[in-house]
Amino acid sequence: MSPRSCLRSLRLLVFAVFSAAASNWLYLAKLSSVGSISEEETCEKLKGLIQRQVQMCKRNLEVMDSVRRGAQLAIEECQYQFRNRRWNCSTLDSLPVFGKVVTQGTREAAFVYAISSAGVAFAVTRACSSGELEKCGCDRTVHGVSPQGFQWSGCSDNIAYGVAFSQSFVDVRERSKGASSSRALMNLHNNEAGRKAILTHMRVECKCHGVSGSCEVKTCWRAVPPFRQVGHALKEKFDGATEVEPRRVGSSRALVPRNAQFKPHTDEDLVYLEPSPDFCEQDIRSGVLGTRGRTCNKTSKAIDGCELLCCGRGFHTAQVELAERCGCRFHWCCFVKCRQCQRLVEMHTCR
Amino acid sequence: MGVGRSARGRGGAASGVLLALAAALLAAGSASEYDYVSFQSDIGSYQSGRFYTKPPQCVDIPVDLRLCHNVGYKKMVLPNLLEHETMAEVKQQASSWVPLLNKNCHMGTQVFLCSLFAPVCLDRPIYPCRWLCEAVRDSCEPVMQFFGFYWPEMLKCDKFPEGDVCIAMTPPNTTEASKPQGTTVCPPCDNELKSEAIIEHLCASEFALRMKIKEVKKENGDKKIVPKKKKPLKLGPIKKKELKRLVLFLKNGADCPCHQLDNLSHNFLIMGRKVKSQYLLTAIHKWDKKNKEFKNFMKRMKNHECPTFQSVFK
Repeated sequence: MSPRSCLRSLRLLVFAVFSAAASNWLYLAKLSSVGSISEEETCEKLKGLIQRQVQMCKRNLEVMDSVRRGAQLAIEECQYQFRNRRWNCSTLDSLPVFGKVVTQGTREAAFVYAISSAGVAFAVTRACSSGELEKCGCDRTVHGVSPQGFQWSGCSDNIAYGVAFSQSFVDVRERSKGASSSRALMNLHNNEAGRKAILTHMRVECKCHGVSGSCEVKTCWRAVPPFRQVGHALKEKFDGATEVEPRRVGSSRALVPRNAQFKPHTDEDLVYLEPSPDFCEQDIRSGVLGTRGRTCNKTSKAIDGCELLCCGRGFHTAQVELAERCGCRFHWCCFVKCRQCQRLVEMHTCR
Repeated sequence: MGVGRSARGRGGAASGVLLALAAALLAAGSASEYDYVSFQSDIGSYQSGRFYTKPPQCVDIPVDLRLCHNVGYKKMVLPNLLEHETMAEVKQQASSWVPLLNKNCHMGTQVFLCSLFAPVCLDRPIYPCRWLCEAVRDSCEPVMQFFGFYWPEMLKCDKFPEGDVCIAMTPPNTTEASKPQGTTVCPPCDNELKSEAIIEHLCASEFALRMKIKEVKKENGDKKIVPKKKKPLKLGPIKKKELKRLVLFLKNGADCPCHQLDNLSHNFLIMGRKVKSQYLLTAIHKWDKKNKEFKNFMKRMKNHECPTFQSVFK
């Protein structure tokens, strides 16, 4: 064991002790992608899993690499969708991965839970289609001739399996809390909204393989959308999320809009319980990095503009020389030759 | 008309160059020395959509990928840029384009088609230039229409780059002149009498017959060919009972010159395909046992097996 590994393990141990109450399986994304989860002992060592998830890990070893990939996919997509906002989905090296932003019932937490459950469903489904997971494979219920007249063929994505596994693995933590917790209800709702975002964007992809590429002969399959599309859909749900509060409905508890004038949310909408902080100043204990030093857009009036992103504190301006490729041309045969161009740009950063 | 189309093609090339220059001029700094995009290095950029089923890899272009095996490079990316995922699928789909190559309708046809069917191994996908696509389409679609084909959706030119880095082979002869189309060209009759080309055409055609011709007349803009005696070499879509009343059409060819039909006293090798309810002629050769190439074809035909691609789509 190298000294660095020792130090890292020690640090992880310390954080694990303090953060055990707020474990989060998204930490799987931090694992080195070189190693594979292939032994039951590995499950015991994974940070962020609750006991039920450890058991699921042992029973479904072959699926865990997809779960890890799903976690990575979720974080990358979150960071893309929030790249211009004050909170830009930055991650920590400790648990929980996103800090208190996720443990509080904020709108941001709603997005994180939705994109995470979607990431797992997506990655598992893809692993089915690629043959990586032998226990699922393609969706064999899609076959024969469609009502539109084309032949179903190829590998239709087995989204039912991916969704079911995501429900089993991701939701288990919330269900273990019991149905009475408002936060658990919020998380379950948003997890399901994430999976719905994939289901409602399933599409038919086709290939024409008649003579000379004509569509006289065409085969089609059902496919999950690109994950970027799922991210866009959930970001729009985030922008229109509904603030809710717990209320007794009959003999159980449900989440209802805090403002009675708002129409009730649907299964596909995101819901949140707590208002968000402004994310302006650094608060290490909460996992908020603040916006100091962030690059901003001087000419924009939107959230990425300097006025809003810098929270009125002002910004620095600097001239930066960018080196980039330009004038790329393909030469026969076969290489691409580019030139190096220097470009002087103004860069603005928040004070 | 041909000249007009060529001019448009050249215009496209010129605008590509201008855009490249404009990009260079817009840079505030000065251009420094060239660097090369890496060759055959990590091709992870290809990952998208359905390609996850088979990670992209750089493979040899097989000799029996007739469309592209002599294109000028030896390796290709699989899956290709038309989302063909296996080499069997590439071969099956490419085979129907081989006869078009033999038509020599545009000197860039092979480069254009192979940039998609057998893309070069670079670190990211590079598509053919839009102007090349337009030039090939404008020159070749009239020829394709003689065989009942139209420019397919998968090769629509507006999906290819304009101004961005793209593939085109600069012709050594910049004053390219494509053959005028229409009244002076008759594609099913303008076939090269070479045994290899005839074999490839035989494989690409749906049916083939040895037959004598009773008469040729015009009908609705087509040449209508009425057979006398016929012996099937390859029946394809023709049913036995239809064989008796078979009539062939040279599509859009009412007035085009077909020297093979000048003398109807010979036997002919006829190849074709069925489009809706019409049997279209795709190639005609005089059945000439004295011709060396034709004799060679007859010899090869006896034991030549056309590739079968049935397993591609299960």
